[in-house]
Amino acid sequence: MSRTAAEWNHKPNPNAIEWVDSRIYTDEAIFEQELEKIWKRVWVLACHESELPKAYDFRTLTVAREPIVICRGEDDRIRAFLNVCPHRANLIVRAPAGSFEKGEPSGNPKRMTCMFHGWQFDMKGNCVEIPRCKQGYQDRLDKKDAGLRELRCEVGYGGFVWITLNDDAVPLAEFIGPALDFMKAELETEPLEVFHYHKAIIDSNYKLWHDTNSEFYHDYMHYHNRVTSMMQPGYFDRKYTAFPNGHCSVGSMEVKYEAYKGFKGRDLSFPGMPLNGWKMVDLFPGYTYNIRGSSLRIDTMTPLGPNKVMIEFRGLGLKKDTPEERLRRIRDHNTIWGPFGRNLHEDLLGITGQGAAMRPGQEPRRVLHGRHEDHTIHDEIGMRHYYAEWQRMTGISPTEPSGVSSLVRTAAE
Amino acid sequence: MNQGVNGVTAGARDEATDRTQVAPGVAGDRMLKEQVADLIYRSTVLLDREDFQGWLEEFCAPEFRYRITTYSPEIRREQEWLEGGREDLLEMMRMLPMHNTDHSPLTRHVSVYTVDLDGGNAARAVSSVVIYRTMFDGINSHLDSGETRLFAVGKYLDTVRIDGEQPLFLERNLRLDTRRMDKGSHFPL
Repeated sequence: MSRTAAEWNHKPNPNAIEWVDSRIYTDEAIFEQELEKIWKRVWVLACHESELPKAYDFRTLTVAREPIVICRGEDDRIRAFLNVCPHRANLIVRAPAGSFEKGEPSGNPKRMTCMFHGWQFDMKGNCVEIPRCKQGYQDRLDKKDAGLRELRCEVGYGGFVWITLNDDAVPLAEFIGPALDFMKAELETEPLEVFHYHKAIIDSNYKLWHDTNSEFYHDYMHYHNRVTSMMQPGYFDRKYTAFPNGHCSVGSMEVKYEAYKGFKGRDLSFPGMPLNGWKMVDLFPGYTYNIRGSSLRIDTMTPLGPNKVMIEFRGLGLKKDTPEERLRRIRDHNTIWGPFGRNLHEDLLGITGQGAAMRPGQEPRRVLHGRHEDHTIHDEIGMRHYYAEWQRMTGISPTEPSGVSSLVRTAAE
Repeated sequence: MNQGVNGVTAGARDEATDRTQVAPGVAGDRMLKEQVADLIYRSTVLLDREDFQGWLEEFCAPEFRYRITTYSPEIRREQEWLEGGREDLLEMMRMLPMHNTDHSPLTRHVSVYTVDLDGGNAARAVSSVVIYRTMFDGINSHLDSGETRLFAVGKYLDTVRIDGEQPLFLERNLRLDTRRMDKGSHFPL
């Protein structure tokens, strides 16, 4: 039956049914704490090594508002730097990707050049050129003291480039732990290669996207998933496994793609993965490895505000794919996960609606995370596990975030 | 007086097809190009009306293939984002009511830039297309419904068969410049 305002705003007993206060998705102060205490401390999945295949190739991105440039050196090693000139803090590299092989209008080949005053840096972050250095700085500044800030950078778990703003972060292997072990064969037997990239900026909180990736109860939203998976044997047997550091995985099943009219089963896969298999791992604070038979989908997020997130979507196959195999992977990927695919649009509509219904200044909502089904597919253990880690890192209670300054107190409180 | 196909006088209208007959030569080529441009514009009216079945059945050959492609400077690769034949697209549209979709209508502004006859039975056309989305139910409809936003820009690269009773699309490649698709769409553009 419908409820009065007092009944609607009554806080459920979290021991009876778990929930989180919607202010964790909308509050500006909480968002700033997340950037400081999570995004500047963890390992971030930046890109894939196949996006920088040759020496002098580069890729740029932003992490917790910091501009980053990633490049492959002459020694074939991939490094990451703050994309900020130490002279007057200009952005050094402006393009999303490319090569430093050729010279810039203000600089030489094989160098990162700040166009502003021509300061140049090599692929190891050394400053190698300050125009008229002696004339202007005499002995007060030398190139060797003007290198770029290097970030810790590791390549792994399928050839992905991981970076961290935290010089004291634990090694990547400790951060990931065993969470990706059950995809080891698929990710590491053969080199992978990116074939798809697109992005979306959505007016919603990044955690809402991760929540959606962390639960399958929302398959009711996807006609495709209802007929190809939910109505098929094995769906309700899939189990969630929670790992240290907030990560979670869900086990595989055999998907029946041909149950969706016009679609066909997959006749390509990854090493170790059955045809039509499906595995998924959600990594804290916001990356998802999602393999459906013939394509690997990777979601990464860049939080832009409490109510704005950029999501990058990558699709990968095997580097050794023939042109025909690659085309099959691309087309399989796009049927569900492309920008015109059947599922992705629905998922994005879902969190857009959540973003519209949970905004600063609205009354707090109680967002339920309380489904218990012995860790099987409609259990919400993925979200509960995530927010336990979130609380550990931020020090904020997801059910009682009122302690954070600048929260707007509502009449209900 | 120039004789057109089937002995009909060039420029005369054929009673059966209600189409102007063309003859070889500059005038004939110009008339063919106009027919190709007319096909592109008329078919856009159906797309805007979301009459995808009409678009496919009236203006596309049975062997028609449709693609949406783009180049990603981020990964420095060509990308294909949607592909299908006429039957694939018909099936996709028939299944659409089963899906949750943003029903905000799309409006296409098309300008045919060039039409080139390949000397045989086909013509190739390049048209600019700008697609707007007038918000309806995709977000907070009370606030946003009625606002028109730019959704995508690109070019239609069309191959049109011109040797039949009427020009028909053989291929369309929507070559997108826009790469940030936000919520995306369930509809062919």
